[in-house]
Amino acid sequence: MRVGFVGLGLMGLPMAGHLIAAGHEVAVWARRPASAAAIVEAGAALCATPAELAARSEVVISIITTSVDVEQLALGPGGLIEGFAPGGIHVDMSTIAPGTARQLAARYAERGVGWLDAPVSGGEIGAREATLAIMAGGAATVLERVRPLFACLGRTVVHVGEAGAGQVAKACNQMLMVNVIQACAEALRLAGAHGLDAGKVVEALAGGSAGSRVLDVMGGRMARRDFIAGIQARLHHKDFAILMEEARQVGAPLPVAVHTWQQLNALMGLGGGRLDTSSLLRVLESPLEKLS
Amino acid sequence: MKVGFVGLGIMGRPMALNILKGGYDLTVWARRAESMAPLLAAGAKGAGSPAEVAASCDVVCSMVSDAADVEQVALGASGVADGAKTGLVFVDMSTIAPAAAQKIAAGLAERGVTMLDAPVSGGEVGAINAGLTIMVGGDAEAFEKVRPVLGCMGKSVTLIGGPGAGQVTKACNQILTGVTVVAVAEAFNFARKSGVDAAKVREALLGGFAYSKILENHGQRMLDRNFKPGFKAWMHQKDMNIVLQEAHRLGLMLPNSAATAQVFNALAGSGMGEEDSIAALKLFEKLSGD
Repeated sequence: MRVGFVGLGLMGLPMAGHLIAAGHEVAVWARRPASAAAIVEAGAALCATPAELAARSEVVISIITTSVDVEQLALGPGGLIEGFAPGGIHVDMSTIAPGTARQLAARYAERGVGWLDAPVSGGEIGAREATLAIMAGGAATVLERVRPLFACLGRTVVHVGEAGAGQVAKACNQMLMVNVIQACAEALRLAGAHGLDAGKVVEALAGGSAGSRVLDVMGGRMARRDFIAGIQARLHHKDFAILMEEARQVGAPLPVAVHTWQQLNALMGLGGGRLDTSSLLRVLESPLEKLS
Repeated sequence: MKVGFVGLGIMGRPMALNILKGGYDLTVWARRAESMAPLLAAGAKGAGSPAEVAASCDVVCSMVSDAADVEQVALGASGVADGAKTGLVFVDMSTIAPAAAQKIAAGLAERGVTMLDAPVSGGEVGAINAGLTIMVGGDAEAFEKVRPVLGCMGKSVTLIGGPGAGQVTKACNQILTGVTVVAVAEAFNFARKSGVDAAKVREALLGGFAYSKILENHGQRMLDRNFKPGFKAWMHQKDMNIVLQEAHRLGLMLPNSAATAQVFNALAGSGMGEEDSIAALKLFEKLSGD
């Protein structure tokens, strides 16, 4: 398939690589062309604008940072929408606001262009090993057309619902995950205050009812005092603004999540935005100490 | 001095009427023509757009719902900036995020208009009685120029600091009122569920360090089970959202505001958004086995 790819960061670069390896004709566009050097060397074509990329692609996949970035990519000057032929598909795998996803889907629909919001869970490791969990929102017919591409990127693909539904699922994922990271931090703070070896506590709990992937991975990082990203906390912080806004709009109280958000705010205030989210432990241990 | 007023809703209408009562020559505009009728009947002139209001005025006040509306009125097509004469002062009295107020002020400054952010506290009653508290951010000279106009609408008019400072103060006001309303509701629920008369608790506490106007006034309305607004729960929800968005932007930990915002979310989500925010009491009662 002729595939366009935008967003060659820690996640996007290995994902684009998998598509090339699977024999797809991949082209890319990058805001800074230098960031595309590695993928061009691996065989991707380089386009000058998103519109040019869309014009030569059946499907364009994007994985970038913010709602504004995705909006700009799609609708800005020289944006994807200017280049897509009817029947083209934009698959956005970024984590953005569900409302933005719905708006973009509607704008594309006016031109006969398909849309999927397909955010992922699994992080950099999942992207490298092609084991991502993909949660898709949009029309089932569109999903069926891009399934062969998803098969190169991830292990599970769940069609959650209409446009925006993938992003709602991702918001739930982020809330659940970071709430549990905060719970791990609190547990290890309590253990540490009693002079316990955090590694032993993680090991002991992992076998029981409190065992979880977050406890294994993030609890492990906390125990090893390995606070270098990993997942930069500022990205989880961004996600919480999205999910709390969704909660406000529908009038859903999220009493635990809102406190996790405040702990993330504190982590940002202490200068830890570029550290791994396991640094939430350090907000509890030394709230008076700058982290950078 | 000729005065303009844009936005004639529950708050804006009585505020504009009080400017007329103060003897000023007043020009008004509202999105819906019927909102303008009571002002025109009282002697104000009507205009076809915010730009038209600005063209005939030295000061233009606005009272609208959110930042997008303020931006539209100030900088949009046929907005205030399009019609403004040199030296016009635009006074936005809506409650919006401080960052949004600063951005709009900067946009207006580029087009030669000075903006003051001047949100108010005191609700509809304060607007009618000209008893509003007005918290102002922006240029001191512009503030002195418009102070007499603001004096028609409120008793307490204070310049706090530069652009956005009025909105920061309003956000502080909403933190304190929101958290305190919820605290009073919690205390009354706690008292009643412990078998103690909440009215007696209120009376006893009014003399001590826990005294507050909210304990006195909102507390009494809780005891009377009078949940009519007042200040609607969804509006407090909107204002707490501004607080939490700013906290997010600045990296601030506001645990009590955060919890309070969830109470207002719950009120909005369970169909009590149109009631006064003291309906928090009913929510806590339900969640405590009522």
